[in-house]
Amino acid sequence: MATSNNFLRELVNKLGQECVSVDSLEKLVYAHDLAALPKSVKLLFNTTPDAIARPRSIEHVAEIIRLANEYKIPVIARGGATWGFGGTVPVRGGIILDLTGLNRVVNLDEKNGLLTVECGVVWEDIMRFLQETNWELPTYPSSALSSTVGGWAATGGIGYGSLKYGPFVKNVAKVTAVLPDGRVVVADDNSNPNLSQLFGSEGILCIFADLTLKLIPKSEVERPFMANFSNFANAVMAAQEVLRLTNPHSLVLRTFGFVRAKDYIESDTYFFGCFNGNRYDVDRQHLTLGSIVNRYRGYLTPEDEARREWEERFYTLRIKKWGPSILGNEFIIPVHKILDIVKYCWHLGNQAHLDVEVEVMFISRDKALMFQLFLCDERKSIRYLTEAAITKKVLDAAIKAGGKPYGYGLWNFPFMERAEPEKKRELKSMKGVLDPQNVLNPGKTIGAELMLGIPLPGKLYSTFMDGVWVLRKVV
Amino acid sequence: MLVLPKLQLEDVFACAQCGYCMKRCPVYYFLGWESTSPRGKIFALKEILGNDGRLDEQSIRKLGKSFSTRFFNCTFCGFCREVCHVEIDLLEIWSKVREILYDHEVVPESIIKLSETVKKSKNIYMMDNLSRTDWITYTGADVNFKDSAEVVYFVGCITSFSGRVQSIAQAVSSILNSANEDWTLLKDEWCCGHPLALSGAIREARVLALHNVEMIESTGAKKVVTGCPGCYLALKHEYPRLLGKKPRFEVLHSSQLLDTYITSGKLVVPKADITLTYHDPCELGRISGVIREPRVVLQSVTDTFIEPEYFGRESICCGSGGLLKAVNPSLADNLTQRRYGMLASTNAEVIVSACPACVQALAQTATAIQNGKRVIDISQLIAEQLGLM
Ligand SMILES: Cc1cc2nc3c(=O)[nH]c(=O)nc-3n(C[C@H](O)[C@H](O)[C@H](O)COP(=O)(O)OP(=O)(O)OC[C@H]3O[C@@H](n4cnc5c(N)ncnc54)[C@H](O)[C@@H]3O)c2cc1C
Ligand code: SF4
Ligand code: SF4
Repeated sequence: MATSNNFLRELVNKLGQECVSVDSLEKLVYAHDLAALPKSVKLLFNTTPDAIARPRSIEHVAEIIRLANEYKIPVIARGGATWGFGGTVPVRGGIILDLTGLNRVVNLDEKNGLLTVECGVVWEDIMRFLQETNWELPTYPSSALSSTVGGWAATGGIGYGSLKYGPFVKNVAKVTAVLPDGRVVVADDNSNPNLSQLFGSEGILCIFADLTLKLIPKSEVERPFMANFSNFANAVMAAQEVLRLTNPHSLVLRTFGFVRAKDYIESDTYFFGCFNGNRYDVDRQHLTLGSIVNRYRGYLTPEDEARREWEERFYTLRIKKWGPSILGNEFIIPVHKILDIVKYCWHLGNQAHLDVEVEVMFISRDKALMFQLFLCDERKSIRYLTEAAITKKVLDAAIKAGGKPYGYGLWNFPFMERAEPEKKRELKSMKGVLDPQNVLNPGKTIGAELMLGIPLPGKLYSTFMDGVWVLRKVV
Repeated sequence: MLVLPKLQLEDVFACAQCGYCMKRCPVYYFLGWESTSPRGKIFALKEILGNDGRLDEQSIRKLGKSFSTRFFNCTFCGFCREVCHVEIDLLEIWSKVREILYDHEVVPESIIKLSETVKKSKNIYMMDNLSRTDWITYTGADVNFKDSAEVVYFVGCITSFSGRVQSIAQAVSSILNSANEDWTLLKDEWCCGHPLALSGAIREARVLALHNVEMIESTGAKKVVTGCPGCYLALKHEYPRLLGKKPRFEVLHSSQLLDTYITSGKLVVPKADITLTYHDPCELGRISGVIREPRVVLQSVTDTFIEPEYFGRESICCGSGGLLKAVNPSLADNLTQRRYGMLASTNAEVIVSACPACVQALAQTATAIQNGKRVIDISQLIAEQLGLM
């Protein structure tokens, strides 16, 4: 849909020339997120935005949305663009709202440990800011060096620290949000809509403008750990016992593939994480950890290696160097199904001749966030398209095992009906009420659209992917 | 038709688009648009390159100007490379792209002027190259020209010609004298060629490299000392690549020389009751790895040495690198002010650096504001402490 000149003129009038771009190179680089799209898939959508706006205030955001409503133009919120499910990729052009300019720390309530920040603040900047205070973040994503606070509110909200302190939504006191009609509202647990309804809405229900985060008092000590195992099953069992007998800040398990990118890890599987709190408690838990690891025939690495791994915790994609491309997906599954799914991933990888890497971030005693990726090469476009189907196979299996995708966006939308029918119904009804013109991030999460706004039935998409997978096996 | 070399091509495709480089890029910090960030530039490249790394003439002509603006709005500070998630040698990619743009004559006007200037006058200021050593008269430095010597002091264009920092040359000369070094200046020093390499004018840079190496080797010197990190990078790392062989001399930055003098006891520097902070020049610290030595030197002078926010390998660029000053002076100025702010907020009395370009830019900012700090080069500080200036 071509964006009218009148709309652009008004946009420039309201925001100023320096906050709007229609430059062709600019549009090219805003037409994507983390994932490399197969060229043939790109043809189905109009991924090039008509313009990019960089608002400088909440008022700017509200103005843009009001104007977009008037002209019925899609608005796609964009933070760090580090999410890989197509959430920031336009499907029929529109305006990309680059929110990274809203990056101020607004207020620290020292007494109550509450920090208000604008949505475009990157996590690392908060960590730096808090260094001088008595407070720290309870939880943050492993993309903390570039992703934004608003982006995490709009997506899964599970990361380091979630095991001990819960997901992001539980660690937010309130937010200021701009609704699809341009109204600016404050939402908390008791408002309508409330935080749980807005969090994870993937940019289709509101724009988070600022957020007030609940902090925790700074830990007396932080003691990272790392354990190597020669066998994946043992590592999983040991991890389960660690979860039962201790209370780690984070616990992450990785398989062999990640080892190739790091010279100091020798084993097939390892887990790492961190205990935090008072010294006595932390040391006691560390002792317990040692005996568990021993029982499962693993061994703890020296403390300096553990610390190095912990400091490296934001560098989870090093392995991409060997791809050069990756096909990945993320889902939440019951802990007792980890082994089955990993074996299935390996089996699929074998069939497709692709290296499979698996990372498991435990989020409670019985649930884990699993990230699997296959190394491939996007330059072999037909092959890459057929390989893309592998991620669907894994998700099918994860849902069957009682799991659900960790986000839907553009690529996982067909799975929502099966994995979370209730949530889909709620989102759909809220979308109908709040955004009748379908202005905010259309064609995502609850249903996809091709260019020109033609709906893409989930079933058709799934059948196509299955067909492509059969082709892959045959060829 | 042009081809991006295989290694760089693999790197372009390996980019995870994670954005870790963006947060660190001092240019993106001010411009804010994705296309001005390292991540955006890599993505743009990926989109216009064929899978085999080929770049057709038509695309270059069509997008050349937009590309040129983005790829020359970069200080070559190397912070993107430092933090890259998948260890991409981004500086190598930026260099290759500049080369391609230069070969297609789609570089900014100021770059064409600069490279013409260097080619003609053998310095970056379009000065008569015979006046390169006029600083000796201006500063009254005690300098000998010899046919052969153990050490050559390679002064560099900025220190030689720019009045504000000629005192660095005076300082280095007096220190060499004070250490009883057998040293000389080159009788006909040319620009080191680094500005040409940064312009993408590799062939032209090679001509300068060849001349300088010949001049240095004709003195039989085993060591070349320079106070300029750009010259240091050129002499030490670029010349072997440009010429296909390693020159027969060792290259030292003045801070490294000072470190050896002080550590060996050859120079004994009296302590001063002064608070110092240090700005790591990108080309010296992060890119060449000379981080420890300047600190050893400074800590020999004072007990109150304060690191600024972002230092060592993580130092933030002051805006003087990558020819940004020529291409986009106001942006370069913004970068300088930001860095100056970080240094000044340490509350140190004196800001020290080890680069004529950094010292010049930071000192300019300091003089433009009320109660600006004193900004000096490390060699000046030591020469003053030794009572040589
Ligand atoms: C190395 C790496 C590690 C990662 N680790 C984690 C992890 O530990 N946990 C995790 O959950 N994810 C992780 N991710 C995925 C991603 O980083 C997170 O989802 C992150 O929170 C996205 O933030 P962003 O600012 O990049 O959002 P974007 O990618 O820009 O946007 C994501 C979605 O949110 C919407 N959106 C963005 N900002 C707003 C806003 N202010 N208001 C409303 N909607 C908005 C967009 O429209 C889009 O649909 C990782 C990614 C990488 C590359
Ligand atoms: S070298 Fe420095 S200025 Fe250039 S892209 Fe990298 S970080 Fe930015
Ligand atoms: S840090 Fe490296 S991998 Fe990440 S976006 Fe920048 S260039 Fe790409």
